[in-house]
Amino acid sequence: MLHLEREGIVRVKGLPFVARFKWSTGFLMERFIKSLAEKKLLGAKCPSCGYTYVPPRSRCGKCLTKLGEKNLVELSGRGVLVGYTTAYVGLDGEGNFVDLEKPRVIGAIKLEGADSTIFMPIGEIDPEGVREGMEVEPKWREATRGELADIEYFKPSR
Amino acid sequence: MRRVAIVGYAQTQHQFDMQKTREDMVFEVVKEALSHAGITRGEVDTVVTASTDFLDGRTISSVFLSMAVGAYLKDESKTEEDGTSAAWYAFMRILSGVHDVALVEAHTQGSTFNPHQVSFYTLDPLFDRQIGVLNDVSAAAIQARMYMSSYGVSEEEIAMVSVKNLSNAAKNPFAQRRMPDLTVEEVLGSKLYYHPIRELMMSPISDGACALVLASEEKAKEITDTPVWIEGVGVCQDFYLRDRNLLELDSLRKAAKDAYEMAGIRDPYAELDVFEVSEKFAHEELMIYEALGLCRRGKGKVLLERGATEKGGEIPVNPSGGALAADPVCATGLVRMVEAAKQIRGEAGEYQIPGVRRALAHGQFGMCAQKNWVFILGGEG
Repeated sequence: MLHLEREGIVRVKGLPFVARFKWSTGFLMERFIKSLAEKKLLGAKCPSCGYTYVPPRSRCGKCLTKLGEKNLVELSGRGVLVGYTTAYVGLDGEGNFVDLEKPRVIGAIKLEGADSTIFMPIGEIDPEGVREGMEVEPKWREATRGELADIEYFKPSR
Repeated sequence: MRRVAIVGYAQTQHQFDMQKTREDMVFEVVKEALSHAGITRGEVDTVVTASTDFLDGRTISSVFLSMAVGAYLKDESKTEEDGTSAAWYAFMRILSGVHDVALVEAHTQGSTFNPHQVSFYTLDPLFDRQIGVLNDVSAAAIQARMYMSSYGVSEEEIAMVSVKNLSNAAKNPFAQRRMPDLTVEEVLGSKLYYHPIRELMMSPISDGACALVLASEEKAKEITDTPVWIEGVGVCQDFYLRDRNLLELDSLRKAAKDAYEMAGIRDPYAELDVFEVSEKFAHEELMIYEALGLCRRGKGKVLLERGATEKGGEIPVNPSGGALAADPVCATGLVRMVEAAKQIRGEAGEYQIPGVRRALAHGQFGMCAQKNWVFILGGEG
């Protein structure tokens, strides 16, 4: 429907523009990403209020305490699915919803020892079989390289 | 404290592709709002607009609008996010005592670039954007499922919100989706995006704009015999998606509490006559009832089933059709203020609720209603 156009109307295109931003991740996020190479998931536990962020943050948003390397904690990687949806479409990056060949499950996961919720693809499961409260764990790619792509998806724990 | 009133307003006929430039659309709506108030550009002291650069497709997106909003060689500023943020800011500028008349304008032309794609760019670029599964619709779907399973709400009950609002919109000439005979079955038969969210459970992509004229008490009384007073306002921002409880609209609850306190409202159910809220997804309206204190947590569906929020109910919600009927993103909350003001002045035509004295208008921005603005508006007497 985004292409509905009346004859004779001149349209100009400018988006999506290509702007290759290169953000600094900050020290704790860098550690988080690099640790994926060893199949480790790190969180940052606030020494004042105990809230544990995944991915880590350098400042506690709840009580404003500065978090540093000594506040990094290694998580087991196991988690509980606290919410989910089954996707029938995806955005193509250019403003279009495109139909998926097969529906995909997106999960809201609370990792053991963490307070944040992370939103990840869930694999190795039939959408009909997904239940809130299920235990899940990461599916690591064969050769991990210290990139976010090292986690392919989360899957039900055996 | 000074009193501030709404003394004039206008909105466009919201539609998918209005085939008009942004500048023409904004010029026309502003001109109409000024003539509705019966004032000229010369009487406006300050102009505040709201839009989002990414939705407008340009940075400092107000630059080419200074002429369209009549702000050239005047005090002008732009806020981001929903138009209620511009109304809130303009309200404070009048309260400061420096200005007496403010023009507020907000707009989005969603047809120029899919606002759902833009929502993806509001995510944490270091993690969530890289993972790539979230956008405003998938996030809302996760929230809807959590809400359904926690409180035993069915898809049919969520679809009933769409039926109520889109059939209300049939009487609203400004709405985009006007569906007088819509059924629950048709809502549940519409295209499935992210379960349980279907096309008719999410707001449409709209082009539209809205403008308000605000004035100090003294000025308002010169301008009109029917000022609509801003009696209360509350604004609140929640944590980022990863660190908030999606089962609650905590920031809306707090914004409403502040607005009620300022307006001296103890029992919103009894003291407010109509509600115009920005429900971007059908399930959100049920959560909004709860956050506004109209019922207990999880009981939103009971209000709906009892017909309390229908046009003829005790607490009508969205007689105009709400955001499900038209969603010109940044203008949507400002349209709620206009609709609430129309109800108070008896200008709502075929969807007029009889005897409205006090009304609530709500705007939101961000995923799963991360930020919320609540205004309490009241007539004379």
